[in-house]
Amino acid sequence: MTTDGSAQILDRGYRRFDGRRSGVGGAIRSTAWHTTRSVLGLGRKARHKIAPVLVIVVAMLPAVVFIGLAVLLGGDEFINDVLEGIVPLYSELARQSIAAMILFTGLVAPEALVRDRRDGMLSLYLSTPLTRRTYLGAKVLSVSGLMALIVFVPTVVYLLGMTFASLGPDGVGDWLIVLIRILLSGVLASIIYALISLGAASLTDRRAFASLAVVLTMLGALIVVQVLVEAADQSIQWRMLDPVNMPMEMIARIFGDAGQYPEIPTERVYAANAGWAGVSAAVLWARYRSAGA
Amino acid sequence: MVFGTHRALDSLTLEVPPGVTGLVGANGAGKTTFMSIVLGLRTPTNGSVSVLGLDPLREGAELRANVGYGPERNVFPDDMPASDFVKHLAEVRGMPRSEARSRASDALWLVGLGEERFRALGTMSTGQRQRVKLAQAIAADPSLVLLDEPTDGLDPVQRDEMLALIRQISSEYQIDVMLSSHLLEEVERICDNVVALDAGQLVAQGPLRELVGDVEGVTVELTEIDDVPGSVESVVAHLTAAGLRVTHEPDANRMEVLGASADLIADAVRDAVADSSARVRRIEQRRRRLEDLFEVGAS
Repeated sequence: MTTDGSAQILDRGYRRFDGRRSGVGGAIRSTAWHTTRSVLGLGRKARHKIAPVLVIVVAMLPAVVFIGLAVLLGGDEFINDVLEGIVPLYSELARQSIAAMILFTGLVAPEALVRDRRDGMLSLYLSTPLTRRTYLGAKVLSVSGLMALIVFVPTVVYLLGMTFASLGPDGVGDWLIVLIRILLSGVLASIIYALISLGAASLTDRRAFASLAVVLTMLGALIVVQVLVEAADQSIQWRMLDPVNMPMEMIARIFGDAGQYPEIPTERVYAANAGWAGVSAAVLWARYRSAGA
Repeated sequence: MVFGTHRALDSLTLEVPPGVTGLVGANGAGKTTFMSIVLGLRTPTNGSVSVLGLDPLREGAELRANVGYGPERNVFPDDMPASDFVKHLAEVRGMPRSEARSRASDALWLVGLGEERFRALGTMSTGQRQRVKLAQAIAADPSLVLLDEPTDGLDPVQRDEMLALIRQISSEYQIDVMLSSHLLEEVERICDNVVALDAGQLVAQGPLRELVGDVEGVTVELTEIDDVPGSVESVVAHLTAAGLRVTHEPDANRMEVLGASADLIADAVRDAVADSSARVRRIEQRRRRLEDLFEVGAS
């Protein structure tokens, strides 16, 4: 070893910062990313990863199974199966993500809000460039982003699988239209589910109760609608109050399909979804308007 | 600041200079409400506020990027390592990611948790958690740090260390600090300025050296000898006869003596005690303490 007298041990210690700060945009990005990690259980104990992994498995299973079928059965035979309704169209596969969506909405998403309230992080966040609005925006961004992935990833994987098996849409134009429909339906449905989930979860500080609140909101409304339409023989328009199926109905309409309830006009389907999103956002804001100060 | 019929802060007009400022008052005095207004989290019912030259309501985001805050509540994400916690909040306050990581480490070293920085917050003691709160408040290099009861739950040694850290942050790094406390003694030890609140009203504000410290006169405490009854009253009579002003509560052996220099009063007390056969327990320059401000405010 040679020494030329240039070696230094630097103790930087605490120092001033004169660089550029990232502002509100950076605060939202950082909070959304931190929330995403927290919700998925990354950097946390194994038990926090169980629910997210379950959701991923449920979300991906249909796409993987049907791509496997496509590969095993091959071209013409597979197309016949499509016609017989054995394997889904893209819109149907997107709608099949409903099970994963509801699992995520009930079991995983409430963690995005509840943890901060329980751990006292809300008051710390509000002492940063974040306001209550931008804080909630970061939370909605994180949760809806994850939910969008639940719709996007399996359906896009399915689209790619079908394309590689020469069973995808004809031509680049059709292929792109399908992709855009997948992305649009994923974004809209995920925002609606995220708002419903966060709105219901904002009613309590306990995660178990928050999950219960989400499930009761969604399944409670679904049961009421079922009773009204099926048992009491009321108008099928009451289906617009069903928060479980309306986003899925919207996905079908985006793909140009008739959907599960063709009697309900498309504009009413969109209005119903906007209504659920609006009411959930109002509940969320009412709960956070003066929280954490 | 009014909540329904409750007036949390009333007619508060003050200006806080740089340095360490103690926001003192009993629980419910309005300290936390005051800090919320400074941060722009509450809107005053009327009046205006300017912090670091910014309006907390209109320029709240810009202001809060330059303010660190340590809340009173001692609850954190238990499964999060201290370094991740401090880094995350530094990022939210505007630090670039790589800078936030190194600054989190530096801040934790500064508060004495360098070796413990990868420990989960849930495994830390109250003293360590208070230090983590301080570290996250300073990690993003704020111009002002607001600390709500930073010594709450600390034993005397930990409290001394925390107060020394707060003083160091101000004197070495020129970060202004406002700390709220109901412990007047600790505010007297480290603060340059004081804002004293009582039931939402301003009791006193200004440089600590002007509000507390030596004042005119001498405090005398006597002990009455059993076989010389009335000796204390006799001392009071002697001092009054010498032209001094004596404040003496009946049945108490303590008195405040004014009306001359401290040396002359001390001489007069010595003579009066000798003539009256009393015994001196304590004699000292009169000194105003922070609790005296509250007594004046109450009266």
